Amino acid sequence: MIQKQPLDAWKIKTLGDHALQFSLPALMDSTIAAQIKDLNHFMVSQQLPFIKDLIPAYHTLTLIYDIEILERPLSFAQTILKEFLEVTNDHKIHTSNANNSNAGEDKNIIRIPVCYDISLGIDLELLSIEKNSSPQEIIQIHTNQIYQVYCIGFLPGFAYMGKVDSSIQSPRHATPRPLVMAGSVGIAGEQTGIYPMNSPGGWKIIGRTPRPIFNKEVAPYASFKMGDQVQFYSISIEEFTKQNEYENEHT
Amino acid sequence: MNILKKGVADSLQDAGRYGFQSIGIPPCGYMDYLSAQLANLILGNPIQQTVFELHFPASSISFDEDVCICITGANFVPVVNEKSIEHYTPIFIKAKEQLKFIQPIHGKICYIAIKGKLNAPAWLNSQSYFSERIQTGDTFSIEKNNAPLPFINGEWLDTINKHIFHPSPIRFIPGPAWNDLEETSIQALLKNSFSTSIKSNRMGYKIQGDPLSLKGAPNYLSSAVTKGTMQLLPNGEIIVLMADHQTIGGYANIGQIILVDLPKLAQMKNDIQFHWAVVSVELAQQSYLEIQNEFHQYDKNH
Repeated sequence: MIQKQPLDAWKIKTLGDHALQFSLPALMDSTIAAQIKDLNHFMVSQQLPFIKDLIPAYHTLTLIYDIEILERPLSFAQTILKEFLEVTNDHKIHTSNANNSNAGEDKNIIRIPVCYDISLGIDLELLSIEKNSSPQEIIQIHTNQIYQVYCIGFLPGFAYMGKVDSSIQSPRHATPRPLVMAGSVGIAGEQTGIYPMNSPGGWKIIGRTPRPIFNKEVAPYASFKMGDQVQFYSISIEEFTKQNEYENEHT
Repeated sequence: MNILKKGVADSLQDAGRYGFQSIGIPPCGYMDYLSAQLANLILGNPIQQTVFELHFPASSISFDEDVCICITGANFVPVVNEKSIEHYTPIFIKAKEQLKFIQPIHGKICYIAIKGKLNAPAWLNSQSYFSERIQTGDTFSIEKNNAPLPFINGEWLDTINKHIFHPSPIRFIPGPAWNDLEETSIQALLKNSFSTSIKSNRMGYKIQGDPLSLKGAPNYLSSAVTKGTMQLLPNGEIIVLMADHQTIGGYANIGQIILVDLPKLAQMKNDIQFHWAVVSVELAQQSYLEIQNEFHQYDKNH
């Protein structure tokens, strides 16, 4: 169970004239992320009519509000943060179960097939030279780790996951590619992620999943949400071709 | 109504798609909410109804039935059957007539409201287009309404238009990375003039002017951005996030343009110089509410 940070660990800032940002220390850290997720959960459960959007990311929760309804944003923010920190132990237990933050409890891990064939993982050879490791070793390290989803953004459904093992971390390309194919799995520093749709992009691409991760038509639309745990597993190019659900969508 | 020839980047927009930024879906919506609301108000529509948003070169449109429309925002010299028509007033168009836009005189974004309701598919509670654009051959049907046309005070209309098309200042509230700016950069930002770059679109407007720099080389963990966020790129350029912005950003967030001034930036052509000014949250909200309350007053009175 996660101990809540005390009130003075939190900072509240206004973001322009229509947003508020709650923040904890700027670290990519699973206990900080879990508390951002808890605060998000708490805010959602309040069903406040002036909240237009709640956007959790790493160490911040940003609230977009309706200026016409919420009058004193900062004093609202202070009050709701206090209420959040004061909620009973019952609530703590309840949310930390939903967090799957307990180590060793792996039943909620989302498993994603990835084909690491060099025809799809177009930067795998480059990375292998850069790291002086075989592609097999890189695949082994990439699939071994259980990643946490720290936030969703950049593209609809794009999940920023971490942390990538330091032995295979690699910076973005200096110049982004004009086109990265949907399903591509990439690395950028200590983060890994999947491109939900064809898009320009600078991440080092090491494989591709046959499984769509964003569906415009069906709720919840995105396969991942903040706090999810994800593990990749390697599949052959034959399995990829058989399972590939993206090809049908090409026009 | 039928799109005879598509424009360069035309779309349908409403007040935006909120509630899904947590899964990376941008809010979209009007770039210039004031002009869009005016177009609806003048026709007696609810002020936040869906409108056509046109960029130049704009779509050419024909109509299958008699309609009443209102054009606001940028002046692209609209003509109906080769005769020019007025802005900011209801225009009656007969079936088979064609609406075209000849040349951009001022502003960047033009709105067309249709009296009644446009039938178009909605996605996640909004009719705003996100990645798609209006195409040649698209057709839209209209549910007409008979609401009386309201009387609009001409002076008030002029005041709003002067606000939108008077470039300076663009007011902003300093952001989380404001204190990371070099003192000389803060001075340059507050004293010198800037302009919008031609590399601007519904996702963001690039700003041209003195390059700005940060003290040291701070690294930011990505966090949410919003409409009007001023991101400082590593090359010293500012990019202002607009309606179709990505939801999370990792660049230095040096400020946010206030909502009521976003239409000014949205409409600003790249040959216009403007200045920046810092404003408080309270004043920003007050300026927004003053105008919005007047819109609601008209809405209620008729």
